Amino acid sequence: MSHDHGLPPKSSVSRWFLTTNHKDIGVLYLITALFFLVFGGVLALLFRLELITPGADLLGQMGYNQAVSTHGLLMVFWFISPFAFGFANYLVPLQIGADDLAFPRLNALSYWLYLFSGLLMGVSFFQGTTFAGGWTMYAPLNTPAYIPGEGLGATSVVLALIMFTAAVTLGSVNFLTTMYRMRAEGLRMRDIPIFSLSINLTVWMMLFAFAALLAALMILASDHILGTTYFQYSIDGTTMATDADNPGASLLWAHLFWFFGHPEVYIVFFPALGVMAECFQTFTGRRLVGRKWFIISMVLVAIQSFVVWMHHMFLTGINLPIKTIFMATTIGISLPFDLMVFSLIYTMAKGRVRFTTPFLFSLGALILFIIGGITGVFLGAIVLDYQFRGTYWVVAHFHYVMVAGATALFGGLYYWYPKITGKMYNERLGQIQFGVYFLGFNLLYFPMFIAWETPRRVFVYPESLQIWHSMATVGGFILGASFLLMFYNLFVSLWRGEDAGDNPWAYATSAEWAVSSPPPLENFPGVPSYATGKLEFLDDETVAERTERASGAGHGHAATDGGTAADGGAVTTRAAATATAMEPAHETAGEEHASHASFWPFLVSLGGFVTFLGLSGVRTGSVVYLSMAAIGGLVTFGSLFGMTREPFHAPEMAIAERWPFSSVEKMKLGMWTFLASDIVLFGAFIGSYAFVRVAYGWTAWHHDLIPAEHVTMPGLINTYLLLTSSFLVVLAMVAAERESKRGTVAALVGTFALGVGFLINKGLEWQHLFHIHSEAFPNGWNLSTNIASSTFYLTTGLHGAHVTIGLIICAYMAVRAWNGAYQGDDRAIEYFGLYWHFVDIVWLFLFPLFYIL
Amino acid sequence: MPSFVLSHTAAVFPLHGGGVRAPSEVFAQIFEVFLLLGTAVGVVVVAYTMYHALKYRDDGGADPYADKVERPQMGEMPTGGSGGRKVFYSFSISAIIVVSLIAWTYSQLLYIEQGPDPAQTDALEIDVEGFRFGWEFAYPNNHTTNTLYVPQDRVVRLQVTSRDVFHNFGIPELRVKTDAIPGQYTSAWFTANETGTYEAKCYELCGSGHSLMIAEVRVLPQDEYESWYNGTEGSTGSGNQTAANGTETATESADLAAPTASAAPAATAGGVGA
Repeated sequence: MSHDHGLPPKSSVSRWFLTTNHKDIGVLYLITALFFLVFGGVLALLFRLELITPGADLLGQMGYNQAVSTHGLLMVFWFISPFAFGFANYLVPLQIGADDLAFPRLNALSYWLYLFSGLLMGVSFFQGTTFAGGWTMYAPLNTPAYIPGEGLGATSVVLALIMFTAAVTLGSVNFLTTMYRMRAEGLRMRDIPIFSLSINLTVWMMLFAFAALLAALMILASDHILGTTYFQYSIDGTTMATDADNPGASLLWAHLFWFFGHPEVYIVFFPALGVMAECFQTFTGRRLVGRKWFIISMVLVAIQSFVVWMHHMFLTGINLPIKTIFMATTIGISLPFDLMVFSLIYTMAKGRVRFTTPFLFSLGALILFIIGGITGVFLGAIVLDYQFRGTYWVVAHFHYVMVAGATALFGGLYYWYPKITGKMYNERLGQIQFGVYFLGFNLLYFPMFIAWETPRRVFVYPESLQIWHSMATVGGFILGASFLLMFYNLFVSLWRGEDAGDNPWAYATSAEWAVSSPPPLENFPGVPSYATGKLEFLDDETVAERTERASGAGHGHAATDGGTAADGGAVTTRAAATATAMEPAHETAGEEHASHASFWPFLVSLGGFVTFLGLSGVRTGSVVYLSMAAIGGLVTFGSLFGMTREPFHAPEMAIAERWPFSSVEKMKLGMWTFLASDIVLFGAFIGSYAFVRVAYGWTAWHHDLIPAEHVTMPGLINTYLLLTSSFLVVLAMVAAERESKRGTVAALVGTFALGVGFLINKGLEWQHLFHIHSEAFPNGWNLSTNIASSTFYLTTGLHGAHVTIGLIICAYMAVRAWNGAYQGDDRAIEYFGLYWHFVDIVWLFLFPLFYIL
Repeated sequence: MPSFVLSHTAAVFPLHGGGVRAPSEVFAQIFEVFLLLGTAVGVVVVAYTMYHALKYRDDGGADPYADKVERPQMGEMPTGGSGGRKVFYSFSISAIIVVSLIAWTYSQLLYIEQGPDPAQTDALEIDVEGFRFGWEFAYPNNHTTNTLYVPQDRVVRLQVTSRDVFHNFGIPELRVKTDAIPGQYTSAWFTANETGTYEAKCYELCGSGHSLMIAEVRVLPQDEYESWYNGTEGSTGSGNQTAANGTETATESADLAAPTASAAPAATAGGVGA
């Protein structure tokens, strides 16, 4: 099977740059995440050393702030979730019976964007100072005005986070499409193993939560680079609270951040919960008690996670009714976890509990989580929360929760290591590591509860608490040392370990254990099916038979050559999503071998890295930074184009369970999910506008901040232009269906022309507003003039960027249509149309908000 | 356990000098109950977990439940195990404990939120403005200081804001804390029953000097406070104060719109008391 997939052997370095296989990428994720664990961990050890005595004698004041801030960012973003997604990449396709993820190149792109975003984070340390405003990045401390020096490092961190978010969004689209389109026959959504289910819910939360974060980060990056003033409450230099230019600035960030930040807690914890459930089932030899309720609990938490964010803001002056509501939702969201905990406990009853390393870590994680949960209930009582706010109680609590999650994931590493490597590690050493780890963990975090009166992120604390802080520091080093044991054990076992066999664990049930260790490139010896209620591998004949039977149901499409799309260097990631969602799909069901290699994802990400590094310094006007931005943009653009032109085969499964999206084609489902996150992105932008405007005073806003020259007419004309262009896309589809080449080309060119007209009109409008000379606005009305101009230019600018990307795709499609593409198969045009209509609908919201109200 | 809770609720309103229950007492009481109950629940649940893990451990011998339970098979469709009822019982108990605990604290929250009845207490109103890296306190006569002087046994209402970045003002021993947000006002109140010197700290990372952003808080006997306050009269004040001597009641928490200009602190940094 290993011929003609174009992938070098694992021993070859080039394989790891080329691979699009989910297992290889899973391994890359795991190793990279462990690297960032060490990175963030060393930073933690540095500031724990600092905290042995009160006073900043080791790192200095800013050094200390940088260490705590980047420790948080690295652990939350670059370690824990990607570590979980290493397992998700490796195991979800295996557990649900798929060959790979739905969009393998997109998956590789996610990984490389993740790696390069982390490298950009690393580079920020060398640009003077890196970000020092805490992982929560509260405004306005996160704006250049309050960042010492040039602040380029902080800008790089913001851009790195944007790049990371792009990786996450692409990953979410990919996983959702995979899980809804590629399950083995007979496997309903509720039947997939609990780890895969936890990933499914995690990516749903990611899709929406990270879109809100993306909005926050794009706005922040714009404040850094373009000079908008969203997070600056004082623009003209006066600092009186009574005369603020943008009184909503600080709270806007808090809302955006926590709207993301609270689901993020569950995004981090759910995969760990999934691992715990898997390990409990296997190592107790029992099925998960109350599995159905366990799943329902997780679904409830996933939904409710979006309505608890204000419990991070109880002291910001929100009124009592809102506090009460958020107190109730917060308590409400804790209860499903009680059920899940008890479900795990009772799963042990009448079991055959074996204290293997993975089980020890899972059980340890459960106990730590129980402590984290109980101390969290304290925070649910608002009177207590007020006093715990900003103290070590919070620090201790969330480390007990989040690092409990990490504990379970380390259990997962020991659980699946034999599957991934084919080798067994030294069990005794693993158990010893658990002992050291558990001791170090509790010695590190438990004293923080006792020393809870210490404010967070300070290096000065009362002498009386020194004993507890010293203890924590010692615990930190013990915890760190335990990882040396783990790395040693797992590294040496690659060579010295005994062969693990297909399934080293009694009572393991999920499909990854039914194949060899490591599994073959295309995962299964035949087509996996649960149609009989038990896993079977069907041979080609049976598959052919069943496909024929099911063909009436619309499976197994004819070959599509729906190649379209390219990029727009400016908003590379958005374009990447669009481009790949439309990658040529030669679906000759199983006939051709799937492709597994592409160099483009690496190149696109490298280009993105250089672009962002350049962007971090463009405000200095430095030639080096400017040329990096330009060159990086070219590389990104070029490689996205290369990626679109590359023939890459990712066949759809001949037979698969596809509820509830059996009638939605793979690309279309990908596009839908992507647009869903885009809706949240625009929603967050529009919400931000409404928030700062209400904070300023809805009517005073118009009177004080907007020049008379800002008239309705250009917006009205643009509304007509866009609506007409949407109509033309529909005509292009009709023409393609009727196989009228001229009609298709004409309609696409018409769409393109109207879109260009939109941009020109907007350009003229902006040009005019930039240079007005009125009494109220003697220096024009530009991005930095006031908060109204910032919201206007950035929000409509984001929309304009969407239009530009659409136009590039449109031009590309027009050329292809001229060469005869799409005739009789209008699906590619339909996907583009979905995007284009969406962009139009967004405008229908923006026009009244920014021109009429 | 319930009797324990009851014995505490009976002691909810002990009156102190000044007739006002201090936030620090409210906090101490709730915290104590939570600590005791939390520890108890934690010990029980963790012990219960360990009991299960150890009782059902595989000792290498034959499966004692071989004829009672069916073990999972490779490749089976995932299903749930038996024993769901016990999960629900345990869950219900935990839910009752959590919900009743939080519900109990809610009445205390109302007290903290609304404060003691303003008609009965002659509250002292002080504006607090955070800046990098210190605090400025403005008294009703517009006098400003960097040390907070307050009289013993009198309700002090704080209107807190910031002139630069997001801070958080807290006096840990007096259990008062609120965010200091540029462009916004938040309010909080406390009373100090004991004279002495306390510390106000910043609880939100605000830059290089965050760790050192500490202000002194002096709780003086009422007469000493009065004489200190009278000595400040007219020293920096503009004289057209409408909110003199704290008779004006604070507006609800943080209004997005700023309060009247007369209540705004003088913008001069530092102050006589510093």
